[in-house]
Amino acid sequence: MNNQYRSLLCVLSLSLALAGCGKPGEPAGASTSKPSGATEGGTSKPKLAYVTNGIDPFWNTASAGVRAAAKEFDAECEVLMPAKGIVDQNRMIETLLARGVDGIAISPIDAANQVGVINEAAARTRIITQDSDAPDSKRLCFVGMNNYSAGRAAGKLVKEALPNGGKVMIFVGRLEQLNAQQRRQGVIDELMDRAAQSLETIQYDPPGRVIEGARFVVLDTRTDNFDYARAKANAEDAITAHPDLACMIGLFAYNAPMCKEAVKEAGKLKSIQIVSFDEQDSTLQGIIDGDVYGTVSQQPYMYGYHSVRILAALKRGDESVLPPNGFYEVAIQEVRKANVQEFWTELKKLQKGEE
Amino acid sequence: MKKILGIGGLLVFVCVLTGVLNPDFVSVYNLQNTLRWTSLFGVISVGVAFVIITGGIDLSIGSVVGLVGSLLAWLLTQKGWSAPAAVAMVLLVSLGIGVLHGLLITKLRLQPFVVTLCGLLLYRGAARYITDDQSLGFGTAYEGLRRLAIGKIPIPGLAADSFALPVPFLILMVIAVIAAVFLNRTIYGRYLLALGRNETAARYSGIHTDRVKIIAYVICSVSAGVGGVLFALDVNSIQPSGLGEFYELYAIAAAVLGGCSLRGGEGTITGVIIGAAVLRVLYNAINILRIPTHLEFAIIGAVILAGVITDELVKRYAVKRRAVRQLAAEQAHKASVPS
Amino acid sequence: MVDASAAPLLEVRQLSKRFPGVLALRSVSLRVLPGEVLAVIGENGAGKSTLMKILAGVQKPDTGEVLLDGRPVEINSVREAIGLGIVLIHQELNLSDNLDIGANIFLGREPRRCGLIDKQRIFRESQPLLARIGLEQSPRTLVNQLAIGQQQMVEIAKALSSQARVLIMDEPTSSLSQHEAEQLFRVVHQLRSNGVSIVYISHRLGEVRELADRVVVLRDGENAGELAREEICHDQMVKLMVGRDVSQFYQHQLHAPGPLALEVRGVRTLAHARHSIDLQVHAGEIVGLAGLVGAGRTELLRAIFGVDPMLGGEIRVAGQSVRVSHPRDAIQAGIGLVPEDRKEQGLVLEMAVRENLSLPSLRRDQTRGFLNREREADITRQMIGDLRIKTPGPEQIVQFLSGGNQQKVVLGKWLAMNPKVLLLDEPTRGIDVGAKREIYRLMEELADKGVAVLFVSSEMEEILGMSDRALVMHEGRITGELQREELSEEAVMNLATGGGRNPAGVSQ
Repeated sequence: MNNQYRSLLCVLSLSLALAGCGKPGEPAGASTSKPSGATEGGTSKPKLAYVTNGIDPFWNTASAGVRAAAKEFDAECEVLMPAKGIVDQNRMIETLLARGVDGIAISPIDAANQVGVINEAAARTRIITQDSDAPDSKRLCFVGMNNYSAGRAAGKLVKEALPNGGKVMIFVGRLEQLNAQQRRQGVIDELMDRAAQSLETIQYDPPGRVIEGARFVVLDTRTDNFDYARAKANAEDAITAHPDLACMIGLFAYNAPMCKEAVKEAGKLKSIQIVSFDEQDSTLQGIIDGDVYGTVSQQPYMYGYHSVRILAALKRGDESVLPPNGFYEVAIQEVRKANVQEFWTELKKLQKGEE
Repeated sequence: MKKILGIGGLLVFVCVLTGVLNPDFVSVYNLQNTLRWTSLFGVISVGVAFVIITGGIDLSIGSVVGLVGSLLAWLLTQKGWSAPAAVAMVLLVSLGIGVLHGLLITKLRLQPFVVTLCGLLLYRGAARYITDDQSLGFGTAYEGLRRLAIGKIPIPGLAADSFALPVPFLILMVIAVIAAVFLNRTIYGRYLLALGRNETAARYSGIHTDRVKIIAYVICSVSAGVGGVLFALDVNSIQPSGLGEFYELYAIAAAVLGGCSLRGGEGTITGVIIGAAVLRVLYNAINILRIPTHLEFAIIGAVILAGVITDELVKRYAVKRRAVRQLAAEQAHKASVPS
Repeated sequence: MVDASAAPLLEVRQLSKRFPGVLALRSVSLRVLPGEVLAVIGENGAGKSTLMKILAGVQKPDTGEVLLDGRPVEINSVREAIGLGIVLIHQELNLSDNLDIGANIFLGREPRRCGLIDKQRIFRESQPLLARIGLEQSPRTLVNQLAIGQQQMVEIAKALSSQARVLIMDEPTSSLSQHEAEQLFRVVHQLRSNGVSIVYISHRLGEVRELADRVVVLRDGENAGELAREEICHDQMVKLMVGRDVSQFYQHQLHAPGPLALEVRGVRTLAHARHSIDLQVHAGEIVGLAGLVGAGRTELLRAIFGVDPMLGGEIRVAGQSVRVSHPRDAIQAGIGLVPEDRKEQGLVLEMAVRENLSLPSLRRDQTRGFLNREREADITRQMIGDLRIKTPGPEQIVQFLSGGNQQKVVLGKWLAMNPKVLLLDEPTRGIDVGAKREIYRLMEELADKGVAVLFVSSEMEEILGMSDRALVMHEGRITGELQREELSEEAVMNLATGGGRNPAGVSQ
């Protein structure tokens, strides 16, 4: 009995001692590595990580940008795609911190609730957000587009497609994500002809309520939790529930392709317009065929590219790469029938050239 | 029989309620859609019913759907296989998975929960590995094959643009008829029901219970395979990490709602299909009645729970009534025989 | 030994209890004197269990009163009953077999020290209790390492530890070997001499005759009669139980054995791998397999039937060697088994009479995998008729049949297969007197038709009454064979206990 207690005590104290050593040690190491990196220049390659918010072709394009920048700025960068949502993503961060990296670029899945995780990472290494921001955290900067402006751009595409207005419906994987919320609000504000809101102080319309404006009516926002079959079923049910539906807006890359399938099978390609985000093959093909009106591309290639560029420079002690207001805005690109061929060719080249 | 009436009543109730609240529910377009989704989920639900009847469980269905769907797209678009060869191959893979489950559960005596939980992880990982985790699409090249999932057969005598039967519904009907005949008309079906209730007694009656159980797991996985093919063809864009996720739960819910007992030995094919239909109609109703999308799970969970509670209460009432009737009969019998 | 005029310790007056649709007890009265063994007997459904549950506080009566020491008491819960000194030991033991003996004895009222269980005290106080009932085990032994009989002793020790004055024992010997039962009887005698009253419920009239100072008979929820010590005899008890005179209980006639039907050569079972077994049963012969529980009889039947693997040896049916590795092989060779545990092994309780009766024969009667429903209906009708199974119809769920009728369904399963050899393991366990007679009659009929019948029984009367020839097993070996004329309780017991000269029977 006594022996058991004693050995237990030993183990306990040992682990406490280890934890005690580790804690103060690491931030110190991180802070001293900065000057040493600056003096030694490129002798050691910065080890970076690029964490996405899920698995999607969108992120494959971003990975191409990551690889291009890694080559150009002499860094190593691994791309991590969490398959199981926020738990998976947090676990990835923990693993990275445990292993030790020089910098992380992350697209937080639920920014508001990941502030702690991001701050913990900020204490041990350099972390920036990309694609989706966590403004309340201690991240060094945000690389991405202004999702609200992108939403407004999509709204403009809707207006172009339907000069006389009509009823529209929004489809999205999850509404918990900040980028989804901002895009949605941008679309709504544009369609309601409201004044532009500033990113920090956006007022959101609650989901599940019909929003009526002078020309447009936003009927509803349906979520599908990334289940493609449900995304499609949602689109079909929208067609049933609203025979006079004029436009579907897919906020996530796969939403518009699923809408396209549903509209096609319903034989309503003529009466329902589709506006998309991002650049899945099916979307681009739809634009060529005239089934999809247009899409707002956020240039994921640039997310990857600039994230790696900034982190690599930071590791080498160059803080001038940080944008003054903490937001490195990547320009969006609107794709319509007129420029789709050119856009697609370029995209393929980017993806292929960096393989 | 009573059970089917109960769940059928629930289906009719939900349909009538939805139809009254939004007449578009009975529009040709919506009926076809609902029928199609019911058929897709019905196929995997019928499969899991067999496993549940043996008193087992299969948690790997969603991952099998994902693996089969991803493999199909991968073989067709990346490997250039012909459609019949690719479909045959993926069904063979699902058959192999069923045999594997059956052998592990019967010969190694592992618990079905554990075996299929590992399967859930394993097949999802395999799907993602084989496809490099890339989304795959059939594009427009496989419209012929896709008719299996999205095609419609016009009903003779009706106008060309009116109601036509979705092809998946015909597939479900064929599977359901085969399944029902197997369960009710063959000795293996009887064996399945018997061993689900009392495996020991079945063995003492000379039944090779292991073989029958393996058959059940094979039926389940092959149904998931067929479901996987249809789901993949239907959505036309396959995400290996997401296709079919949680579908095992929908299938199990449909089977339980349709009268299968997780204790085993109980269940009808008709009930299971009606169960799947109830789930799909609920989803449909939530969407077309414009109920906020975040209430979806709450409503479906509540309806399933209510269904199961009602079923349990009805069953208890029936047992009580049976006991009372029997006692009355015995007393009458005793009274008529002078001692 | 007991003064019949003494004031009763426990008295029940005019007790009635109604369940939905049935009057379980109809103004039943009962007196328990201090320091007596009172046997309460009756057929299944006679109301014994309900009466005992009321005394033990499990159920409450509708009308009537219970008096303890002449004062009316109200017993609202098991805890209250124990507080009054009335303890019921259930037929199915209520022990936590993952705990040790001491923990079980003090379960629910553990002595504590500083809020923790005082194990030392438990062990200290358990020891004398165990000594008193003659259980030579440390209180620290886990219950699952004990034999059933020993577990029962733990139950009794548990009752004694709570100062029981009235100990109710519900079918205490139903799963005990003869030896264990005798041990139990000794403890019962000893408790009686210590002034504890014992209410003893049993189907086994032999042991009632052995033990009881007085017998109270219940029939259909009413008092059917009472027998004083000197009036207790088998026929009297049966007469009161079934309400008619039963003089000829075993209608056994010696059968002329036909050709060899079952031959077991050098078979070894998993349980007793050291011993090989040889036996022969002829067509038309009824052979009893006697022995104590654990002697390896059930294991032998299971090995012959292919439920358990056989470690070598050979089985021949009608001269043909048969390889048996699964019950199906045995069935195809013409063997049937009525297993020990009817509800677990013999029947699918939630299925209909029809489905149970046809289960083994479905395969034989199939047409390319499909059920042959006409044949199934024929078999069902025939078996319900031939075996006189009392059921509202073929679709009745077997669960709702009485024990005896359930056992007939099990028999019917095998009769439908026209077996050459029928193995029966404790065929009349837990069924009432009337049904027993019918089972015996069916065994006789089968033998008349030329079926070789091999049955295992732990009831001496059954072995003596039904066997043309008896084989006795002891610790995995067949220790002897007794022809009909050699059969006696002493001879069987002698062989069953390993051949010692002193007959272990308790008969005077």
